[in-house]
Amino acid sequence: MVGRASVRARSETTAPRRAGPAAVPGGGRAAHDASFDRLVYERVRLGIMSALAVREELSFSELKALFEVSDGNLSAHARKLEEAGYLTCAKSFEARRPKSLYRLTAVGRAAFNRYLDHVESVIKATRR
Amino acid sequence: MESHAVATLRYIRESMDAAGGVAVPGSAGIALGAIGLAAALLASTPALRSWWLLIWLAAAVAGVAAGGAIMARQSALHGALFGAPLRKLVLCLLPGIFAGAVLTAVHWQSGNLHAIPGTWLLLYGCALVSTSAPTARIVGVLGALFVTLGLVAFWLPDELHIVALGAGFGGLHLVFGLLIGRKRHGRQG
Repeated sequence: MVGRASVRARSETTAPRRAGPAAVPGGGRAAHDASFDRLVYERVRLGIMSALAVREELSFSELKALFEVSDGNLSAHARKLEEAGYLTCAKSFEARRPKSLYRLTAVGRAAFNRYLDHVESVIKATRR
Repeated sequence: MESHAVATLRYIRESMDAAGGVAVPGSAGIALGAIGLAAALLASTPALRSWWLLIWLAAAVAGVAAGGAIMARQSALHGALFGAPLRKLVLCLLPGIFAGAVLTAVHWQSGNLHAIPGTWLLLYGCALVSTSAPTARIVGVLGALFVTLGLVAFWLPDELHIVALGAGFGGLHLVFGLLIGRKRHGRQG
């Protein structure tokens, strides 16, 4: 399944860590841009949504291994995405152990695509 | 600002790579379907019917080139032409394609031409089923349909072989290309 070659280890120096809309064009204006979704912007949540955009479903332990985050941290981020209707979580038992399977919803995919469009438009605008 | 956006895109790609998935664009299926239908139409023409094998081999080369170019373009857009997921996809596809090429030569040499369409459909279906692991379940469904069509093709009379090839490499590719385009890549149509 998901290997331990996590995103965190490789992206430590490359992944955007600065928070807030200052990183997008227009500064404060970007915060009001419909395509800029603060919920998706956060690093772990963006990672979760990116991973689920290419995999139909991922378990809690797979996501945890992928992003090397604590149980509490991951479940807090996943819950926020779930509450926004971006993810669904199916809970079951496997060998008497609880298992949570996450999937991206159509709303979540649309939000992710909107976010990608937003990032691409930033790159295009700054290269003009 | 730009470097931050580029870093964001890189992070998204890294997350996708690490999750082990390849987003197959629907346009690849549509392109392969169009090539398949064109080959089926050409090979059905009475004047060209005896050249069916050559026509389909040319279509296979065109399909590999078109599919490869679309996948490479998509990978390049995400910043890595030959990233880990694309390598996985190629590795899943290659054994089936290689076996198909070898068996085509064997069938051709022994004059067993009527077994070629079934072999192609069956092995290509198996290759697609393998690629469903790094791509999506829908690719596995497409592969299973190719396998079924391949098995049926072995029992079909020779005059229906072109129809089977057209239905598979043309019809199935086109329909699933449209489905994948709608379902997974609203942005790419």
